[in-house]
Amino acid sequence: MVKRTISLAMTATLLAGLLAACSGNGGGSNAGNANAEGSSAPTASGSASGGGKTTVQFWHSVGGKNGEYLDALIKRFNASHDDIQVVGTFQGSYDETVTKLQQAVSAGTAPDVSMLERAYVELFADSDVLEDLTPYLEKSKMSADDFNAGLMGHSVFNDKLVSLPFNRSTPILHVNKTLLSEKGLSVPKTWEELKQTANAMVVKTNGEYSRYGLTMPYDTWYPIALISQADGKFFNDEHTSLGFIDNGIGDKVFQYLKDLQKTGALYYPPAQDSGNIVNQMFVEGKVAMMFQSTGTIGSLSGTVGFDYTTAFLPQDKKYASPTGGANVAMLAGSKHKDAAWEFLRYLMEDPDGGLQFILDSGYLPFTKKMAESQQMQDLWAKEPNRKVAYDQLQYAIDTNKDVAWPEIMHEFFSAIEAIMYDSKDIQSTLGTFKKETERILAE
Amino acid sequence: MAPLEATERMKEASPESGKRTRTVRRRRLWEGLRPYVMIAPAMAGICLFVMYPVVYLIYLSFYKYNLMNKAKSKFIGLDNYHHIFTRGDFYKALGNTAAYTVGVVVLTMAISLLIAVWIGKKGRLNAALQAGIFTPHIISIVSVSLVWLWLMDPSLGFLNYVLKALGLPASQWLQSSRTALLSVILVSVWQGVGYYALIMVAAIRSIPTPLFEAAALDNAGKTRIFFRITLPLISPQLFFVLIIMTIGSFKVFDTVKIMTGGGPNDATNTLVYYIYSFRTTNIGYASATGVVLMAIIALLTLLYFRLLSKKVYYQ
Repeated sequence: MVKRTISLAMTATLLAGLLAACSGNGGGSNAGNANAEGSSAPTASGSASGGGKTTVQFWHSVGGKNGEYLDALIKRFNASHDDIQVVGTFQGSYDETVTKLQQAVSAGTAPDVSMLERAYVELFADSDVLEDLTPYLEKSKMSADDFNAGLMGHSVFNDKLVSLPFNRSTPILHVNKTLLSEKGLSVPKTWEELKQTANAMVVKTNGEYSRYGLTMPYDTWYPIALISQADGKFFNDEHTSLGFIDNGIGDKVFQYLKDLQKTGALYYPPAQDSGNIVNQMFVEGKVAMMFQSTGTIGSLSGTVGFDYTTAFLPQDKKYASPTGGANVAMLAGSKHKDAAWEFLRYLMEDPDGGLQFILDSGYLPFTKKMAESQQMQDLWAKEPNRKVAYDQLQYAIDTNKDVAWPEIMHEFFSAIEAIMYDSKDIQSTLGTFKKETERILAE
Repeated sequence: MAPLEATERMKEASPESGKRTRTVRRRRLWEGLRPYVMIAPAMAGICLFVMYPVVYLIYLSFYKYNLMNKAKSKFIGLDNYHHIFTRGDFYKALGNTAAYTVGVVVLTMAISLLIAVWIGKKGRLNAALQAGIFTPHIISIVSVSLVWLWLMDPSLGFLNYVLKALGLPASQWLQSSRTALLSVILVSVWQGVGYYALIMVAAIRSIPTPLFEAAALDNAGKTRIFFRITLPLISPQLFFVLIIMTIGSFKVFDTVKIMTGGGPNDATNTLVYYIYSFRTTNIGYASATGVVLMAIIALLTLLYFRLLSKKVYYQ
């Protein structure tokens, strides 16, 4: 008996120690999301009490600090509308929201309004589950021309206006100017300059790179940006195949990246958690330049201890950049379409709505009015880094629009991994990718 | 039950014979039906939560399925299966899964058997050791994966720090397609060993001691005792562990999802993760792959029972 008690006690101590260690570690990384989820809960209980109120369900994917800004927006809306109650629910990342939304639509429990990562809009529109917003827009005396044209690429499907831009971003060049100035270098404007500058930034000690020139997260976004800069298109005009393989642009882009990678001028991060890894490296000065979303400007300028600046992505044949972030859409199955539209209109038009959220969060202003507003002009005067992102929008182009894009993206990732991680032959890898794409597009 | 039997007995006693045969017939019918009625609740559960999903999975696998708008779903016959067997990445995932399974099963079996023999004897120290070895099993696999993810970081991780300190070449661990699968296997083995060692310790302790005493009297060597007495007598447990572990390894998902996301370059893409990656874009294809996985596991289990059950020694 005594023996058993002793061993039990020992087990318990061992376990307690290990468990404590684990929970401490696990908790830290998820803190941001947990907060956002918690904060949206109280709003849900309010819907029952308001007697004649129409409840509008709104699903979104912004957590952390931006999630708080969005919750504040919803609160402002509810305070200014006696007859409508919007309930915002954080559903996890863009991909998770898409998966949940697919299931909810098929189960008949979809929300009235949802945030949709722009590349998934076509997938939903093709299933006829998104409401055409044109009549609503007309009713409110708005028009599609009020919006920034560069951000409307994913809004129209089969002549229907199925979504409107909301929290949008583009990739941009982030520069540690202190490091560049040490060598008397200026911010690169072309691929050639980028190559030279990145190579000049490399520091090698004891056979290991202690500083790299350039980095970018593991994403299809950046290769696509390079493809557009080299005057290529992701899909060909007929949407039957890829538009950057036969003309050699794919070879050129990936050869460029591999050449940089070989000399340490490019650090290509591991796929898992790549965004955080490259941000961390940039903040620590382990890399001099970074391709990364405009969405990181806010947090970077708050944490870096060096002269930090942003610039257009360097050009090859032309300046070009894809867009990212999410749109908002109304679900066709909604029972409160007028109330849902009133919320969407508030997001687009009201100075307390979208504009305030954009000012808070650092996403791109998506209507012309927003960009011209005094608040935005004041902010840009104070933080020119944000203005660069907006100015680059004139070169925004999205050539990867297709219903099948999410499926093809999966194949593109495979090709990127084969080339960037395993140095597989570029031409044959892209050839396989092209074959798979043609098969998917033909279906 | 009791009142029912009582009424039946009363009916039996009734003098009218026609009525009596009817009661007997009714009773026989009830006796025939009774077992089915008894298992009905359990069967209802199984039908609802096992049979129906499996049938539905097979149904989905014949479609290019549109989850959100069923009118847009297309029946495509065996096309999904055709794709599976013509795609390179499926074979890659299958190969990875097989390699993973063999690696995990062989290593875990060998190590846990060694540990079981080592701490098989009762004792205070052994009890503590057993508790220590068992601990990884009760920690969530998510925490385990995250901790190992950091340990295995090539530039900042503890493992490479140790390797360098010992003057050994550092490894890229999870970040190179050559070592990634091995690293994932390592973590799974580390987590599983304690649990299976516990099963084997229990098995070894259940072997009647007179057998060992008799062997000792006959001057049998330790290896001989192990192969002639211990191993055959714990073979039912080993067989059980083998089947459970093979099936479990074929369905590996959590470590892969957290540590590698199937990468780099599909080096750790396993069947279940492969199915998962098609969840938003192609439900029909994912279902077809699920059916294939089910068939593979069924086949493996059948094979084990056919080939190995003869070698298992049931007391």
